[in-house]
Amino acid sequence: MVSPRAPFLWLIEKEWRELLASRAWWVMLALMGPLVGVSFIGAVRTYAELSGYGGTAEGVGEAFSPLIGIWAPTFSAGELAAAFLLPFVAIRVVAGDKQSGALKLELQQPLPVFARIAAKALVLMAGWLVASLPAALAVGLWASYGGHVYPPELAVVVLGHLLNAGLTIALAAAAAALTDHPATAAIVTLSVTVGTWIVNFVAAVQGGVWEWIAGYTPTAMVAEFQHGLVRLDVVLAGALLAAGGMVVATVWTRLGVRQPRKVAESAGVLALTTAALVACTFVTASWDLSENRMNSFRRADEAILRGIHEPLRIEAHLAAEDPRRVDLDRQAIAKLRRVLPRVDVTYVASTSTGLFEQTREHYGEVWFELGGRRAMSRSTTADGVLSAIYDLAGVTAPEESGDDIFRGHPLAVPPRRAGAVFYGMWPAVVVAAGVWLHRRQI
Amino acid sequence: MTSPFVEVDRLSKWYGRTAALQAVSFTVQRGEVLGLIGPNGAGKTTLFECLAGVLPYESGSVSIDGGAVAPGARSRALFYLPDAIAPWPSQRVSWALDFVVGFFGGNRAATPDVIERLALTPLLGAPIGTLSKGQRKRVLLALGLLTPQPLLLCDEPFDGLDLRQTREVGATLREHAAAGRTLFLSIHQISDAARVCDRFVLLSGGRMCGEGTAEDLARRLPDAAPGALAPSLEEVVLGLT
Repeated sequence: MVSPRAPFLWLIEKEWRELLASRAWWVMLALMGPLVGVSFIGAVRTYAELSGYGGTAEGVGEAFSPLIGIWAPTFSAGELAAAFLLPFVAIRVVAGDKQSGALKLELQQPLPVFARIAAKALVLMAGWLVASLPAALAVGLWASYGGHVYPPELAVVVLGHLLNAGLTIALAAAAAALTDHPATAAIVTLSVTVGTWIVNFVAAVQGGVWEWIAGYTPTAMVAEFQHGLVRLDVVLAGALLAAGGMVVATVWTRLGVRQPRKVAESAGVLALTTAALVACTFVTASWDLSENRMNSFRRADEAILRGIHEPLRIEAHLAAEDPRRVDLDRQAIAKLRRVLPRVDVTYVASTSTGLFEQTREHYGEVWFELGGRRAMSRSTTADGVLSAIYDLAGVTAPEESGDDIFRGHPLAVPPRRAGAVFYGMWPAVVVAAGVWLHRRQI
Repeated sequence: MTSPFVEVDRLSKWYGRTAALQAVSFTVQRGEVLGLIGPNGAGKTTLFECLAGVLPYESGSVSIDGGAVAPGARSRALFYLPDAIAPWPSQRVSWALDFVVGFFGGNRAATPDVIERLALTPLLGAPIGTLSKGQRKRVLLALGLLTPQPLLLCDEPFDGLDLRQTREVGATLREHAAAGRTLFLSIHQISDAARVCDRFVLLSGGRMCGEGTAEDLARRLPDAAPGALAPSLEEVVLGLT
């Protein structure tokens, strides 16, 4: 006797079959090869040229890391697909049941509605993993060229893109559940995506609270992971937003519930998610898994900084769009936040570009305050900032050590066979698989 | 008189300022084929969706076996088969039947009989989305008949079927009722309803116009003369609505 399968497993099978029947998924699958291919081939060519291929200055690539040179651009194709292709696949899977009337039948199985949304999300994630196979092919090709692969940093990039896909799926599911028609859901989803880009743009110009909000947009989250940095607050925020989207989708998928109650419940979910997000910002744990420790100071510097327990206040007289401020943020402040218990940063500027402030007396100054002592520096590099902090703390800078210097992994090899794999083999395999499954009628 | 299987008491539903159902009350007896009849716009589908928990309603209660049951818990006792849906359009009919039995915990052994009675064998390999209206209706009926709930609410079971199919499907439904399943069928063709149903709930403009057998309803006609020929159900409906 065959043991009965749990209803949830029936649901998983059904969602998987619906995904396989979805043209949107097959289109995404076919496009992923060329998308990843363009990024990978371009990245390998640039990497090779900077490593001395074709008579360029050999040695320039010594500081090159595959994380920045290869993985970040290659996987960015996934970011593009997650923004513009995955939402349509997710909306098709979530809204399809409502459109066909299947939802009215399925909801009569006394299974929690959240389980239904979870089944869809699981299958969509599995579908996304299949669609991400071209990125795995890129890793294989890179290794076959003799390229260096540092698994931890590669795993972080993959984690970032999975989290981004999870966010997209949750957003699309919520939009599909909230709206009556898939086209409206697509507009809502793309509006939110474009909205996050606007937030990033405003943050770059205005700074302040916008900068804080922009730190939790999908683009900013993926950027952190592409630098090999795992910030627990970012992971938690991503997971929370995805969970919030799924719960909203659940609220609006239920039948027989009045609209005002759904609105009230959604507002409650929004309030809870926002509160939890604010709580997340107090989580400071992070792990720099990049091979070249690009998100960290040298180990000797970090050992000294960990001995400083007073809060550090920084007042930077730099406009939001001033490149020096970007340097200061990335090269020093982001790293300081990971080591020091408390870093308060204030930016002082009258304009967003700083173009007409250059001649002002204090423009460009960066003031540091530690333990009641203040010092000013105009340097925005990591070494300059560290020097100012060491002076204030009354400690001696550590000796330079050759062991701490990242030598890089130059590779002067062209992207052989990559064009055939991504532009020929992958689309052909996808089309063949699609035709085969269609003939078998799944 | 046995206690009713389902008792609907003063159920009311409003769409904004429009009353779709006004204090509708009736009972469903176990094992009967109950017909929900009435003109277009009477509120038949709305009543089914309220009973099944698909639509919220303003007031009223639904009791099953003597106990009030909240909308979310009714799916343990009743299964609602809507009209004009095409669920899982990309999937084959055979898979859909298998899915319904597995997902809802239906009787797998009954599948071959349902397939035969509804003449679905030639359709088993076809995707549901490619079926004609009548073919799809037969598949939907099969899905409903394979579910395990003791009460099946079926909206327009004969819509899209030709005369022969209507009679065959009617006979199949009667057999299922004879085997112990309770059927509540919303039917706008009164002649079909008269052939298949034991009793009727007559609805018009969201109000109850009567409940009972054709004879019971005929007695409600205002000008029913003693000893006159019994009017047809169609005449009764026209007279009461």
